[in-house]
Amino acid sequence: MKNRELTLNIFRYDPNIPGREPYMQPYSLQETEGMTIFIALNQIRENQDPSLKFDFVCRAAICGSCGMLVNGRPRLACKTLTRDLPEVITLMPLPVFKLIGDLSVDTGSWFRQLSIKTGAWVHSDKSFNPNCQEERMSNETALKIYEAERCIECGCCIAGCATANIRDDFLGAAGLYKIARFMVDPRDERPEEKYFDVVSSEEGVFGCLGLMACEDNCPMELPLQVQLAYVRRKMALIGFRV
Amino acid sequence: MQFQRIVTGKIKSDLYYDLIELFSGLFLAGFLGMHLIFESSIIAGKKVFNNLSQTLDENYLALAGISLVVVVFFIHFLTAGRRIPTRCKEQKIIWHHTGRLRHLNTWAWVLQIITGIIILILGSIHMWVVVTDRPIKAETSALRIQSGYLWFYVILLLLSVVHAGIGIYRQFIKWGWFPRKPLGYVIGFISIFFILLGFTALFTFLRAGGL
Repeated sequence: MKNRELTLNIFRYDPNIPGREPYMQPYSLQETEGMTIFIALNQIRENQDPSLKFDFVCRAAICGSCGMLVNGRPRLACKTLTRDLPEVITLMPLPVFKLIGDLSVDTGSWFRQLSIKTGAWVHSDKSFNPNCQEERMSNETALKIYEAERCIECGCCIAGCATANIRDDFLGAAGLYKIARFMVDPRDERPEEKYFDVVSSEEGVFGCLGLMACEDNCPMELPLQVQLAYVRRKMALIGFRV
Repeated sequence: MQFQRIVTGKIKSDLYYDLIELFSGLFLAGFLGMHLIFESSIIAGKKVFNNLSQTLDENYLALAGISLVVVVFFIHFLTAGRRIPTRCKEQKIIWHHTGRLRHLNTWAWVLQIITGIIILILGSIHMWVVVTDRPIKAETSALRIQSGYLWFYVILLLLSVVHAGIGIYRQFIKWGWFPRKPLGYVIGFISIFFILLGFTALFTFLRAGGL
């Protein structure tokens, strides 16, 4: 397995150049110990092709910038070791998100729209008094919120989702996960029917087909099935109440 | 919110559609299981089969059951079928997506759509034949299978069990009633049991002599 000669077939396309068709470009490079796709891409950009576009920031699976299709499956480039892959590796950009060029997509705008649509902030009428002590929260609730906040918004669940691929307005696992976070937060004073309006449609939880490609492709290994099912059951209950 | 959504009020149709899809599907899966168990009474003999059929008929259970199944069958088609990507562009994306992703549950969904469409056709034919050829008797059933329509029943049996199995699996996953892995195995084993049961019944019909 040592010192394999890797071939990376990379999707190349610049939407800003009119008339340019997308194509796959092969690059060869020598595999090194502990090499990730992120390292391989940087080596290619440094030594072979400075025009190659791809995103990264933290290289430690925290920022969620380097999501891409590695051999067809949504993965974080920084978390994917080449030794777990065959010698020929295909890299393509994540679907659903706006393509900036080559492997680079704009997940930011998509997630911003999501936050606006779902009202992803604590809704409260209480005014802030800096002289008062903070309201306390049970440790159990705090942990629940923390768990629901582990999503790094890399977009892998959205890219793996069949519904999101054909429906631009679908909230996807990341969106429903976000909603679940505010549902468990006692500081959020939104009445139940407000959630119902946002989530209980084909754009929301009832558009989910239960294919679980989100859960199976989540780099953070979040319990998406459990959370999605929680939102679905909750929405059904609210639906019969409101 | 936009004007057209405010004036039309709270729309719960997506919730209701989802629930109707769920319950009609569960009902049909339950019916399929009962159907296969009743039908396999032929293994115990012609007499047992005919007696069972006669009992169901005398109590109007067959009539009520068949009518209900016909109605629920089409309700299920209308509610579950709304999810089928019908536009050409969507289908192209889905094939591309599924081929690329190599994800078992996504393939299962594609298989469920295909089996569903074929069951709609074959199931309709099957229901029509049974309804117009009542009462159900071992002799008439065996005759249908022996007169060259064995392939029809083999295909319908395989597709129905696979479709029901995947459907139940996905619904239970969506509502979070069971953990994924054990659920997959349990449903797999039950499906294999019903396929074997169905095949044994078909084989018995095929071999039933002196009709």
